[in-house]
Amino acid sequence: MSNLADSLELSPVVSHLHPEGSFDLADHPVPTGLEEVWRFTPLKRLRGLHEDTPLDGDGLKIEADVAAGVTAVSVPVGDSARGLSGYVPVDRVSARAWDASRSVFEVTIPRDTIVDEPTTIRLHGTGLDHAAAGHLLVRAGQFSKAVVVVDYEGSATWAENIEIVLEDGAQLTFVTVQDWNDDSVHVVHQHARVGRDAELLHVAVSLGGDVVRASTGADYRGTGGSVELLGVYFADEGQHIEHRLFVDHTAPRTKSNVEYKGALQGQGAHTVWIGNVLIRKEAEGILTYESNDNLVLTDGAKADSVPNLEIETGEIEGAGHASTTGRFDDEHLFYLQSRGIAEEEARRLVVHGFFNDIIRRIGVPALQERLVASIEEELAAHVGRIQ
Amino acid sequence: MSGVPAAALVDVPDGGVLAVEVDGVEIALVRDGDDVYAVRNECSHAAIPLSEGDVEGCEIECWLHGSRFDVRTGKAINLPATQPIATYPTTVEGDTVMVDLSFHRS
Repeated sequence: MSNLADSLELSPVVSHLHPEGSFDLADHPVPTGLEEVWRFTPLKRLRGLHEDTPLDGDGLKIEADVAAGVTAVSVPVGDSARGLSGYVPVDRVSARAWDASRSVFEVTIPRDTIVDEPTTIRLHGTGLDHAAAGHLLVRAGQFSKAVVVVDYEGSATWAENIEIVLEDGAQLTFVTVQDWNDDSVHVVHQHARVGRDAELLHVAVSLGGDVVRASTGADYRGTGGSVELLGVYFADEGQHIEHRLFVDHTAPRTKSNVEYKGALQGQGAHTVWIGNVLIRKEAEGILTYESNDNLVLTDGAKADSVPNLEIETGEIEGAGHASTTGRFDDEHLFYLQSRGIAEEEARRLVVHGFFNDIIRRIGVPALQERLVASIEEELAAHVGRIQ
Repeated sequence: MSGVPAAALVDVPDGGVLAVEVDGVEIALVRDGDDVYAVRNECSHAAIPLSEGDVEGCEIECWLHGSRFDVRTGKAINLPATQPIATYPTTVEGDTVMVDLSFHRS
């Protein structure tokens, strides 16, 4: 028996995909922009979130529309279950937000509770003058099933940590909608811990903001856990939208699927997608795939896309990744035009088709309709409105 | 030309570069003898300040990946940069370098 224990290689893996976290701010020097994890981010536009700007603002209004059976309360940090997901801040912005948060907004779905109605949390930013920090903790109890939507709007300079905990057998759909005004700066770190046989559907929708940098990570507490990370983003002139994903396969026979799709239009529109997957030695029999597609609608836009896979065991079911960045496919347009559809209409159809592949899987009808309408609105600027 | 004072001429080293900020725009002033040129102080490839690089005649080199730009036209001379950087007209009035931000080529 002891031989067996010795043969399990559970030692930490050293790689740049998962920097060692620390609660101590001194362990997180101010980034210079040359670091691998910061090299795509326009630090000058972060309004000092990565430096020492005080995070003492209170310019964010929180409203919660809570489904029956779910609780959503703000509790002082000392009384909260903060840290339940095992998250340790991995960079300076996150560590500063951890320090500066005075309360934790806790959303709890009790065990065995099944709710169809989504629970929606709206964060409305009322100004840019004071940067602020926040912490959200979502707990899905054993065998519960629920939908939680976080909706960002208004103007804010906002550093945030989000923890998501799925106990064994829980099913959770967690959606963030970045619908900020075009002057907001938002840096958020999310970490999900997925229990045995639990299923997380995580959807990131990023449309607004001046700079949005969202890092999302997930790991597993037991076998059979499944994580689906979906994303839809649309960057306009001058906007920087960055998604950094990290799935850490810490348990055998777990699954992950990452799929992000984005469109870019206008001078200086910039999107970044970093998709990291680590398959640890103990994670035998896992299945993972990650993909990112970017549709560049105009000149002057730039999409960076970097998938990384780090594989410590070959005893897996499957692992793969893909990334594409391109303009309209002329053949798609030609096909539609040959069927009598005007060019402008054909362009709109192609973009809607591109995004609907993700949107239809969210499973929240009202939100799906809203996203289709938002994309239509974005397209009006460069491709043309519905006649 | 409506210029804005950017720096004292003596502060711009001959054959070198000086980083200045004029009306919120970060600019690299490059001097080649009596001529002073103004370009946007950011490499068009990886957003590195060009003022940290070397100057040779009318060329400035980004230290990180070695892209070079012609400071007279903003043109990228070699890879990895492909896009030009913005250039601004300059005049020297007395011992002050004036930069016209209203007019830039990029």
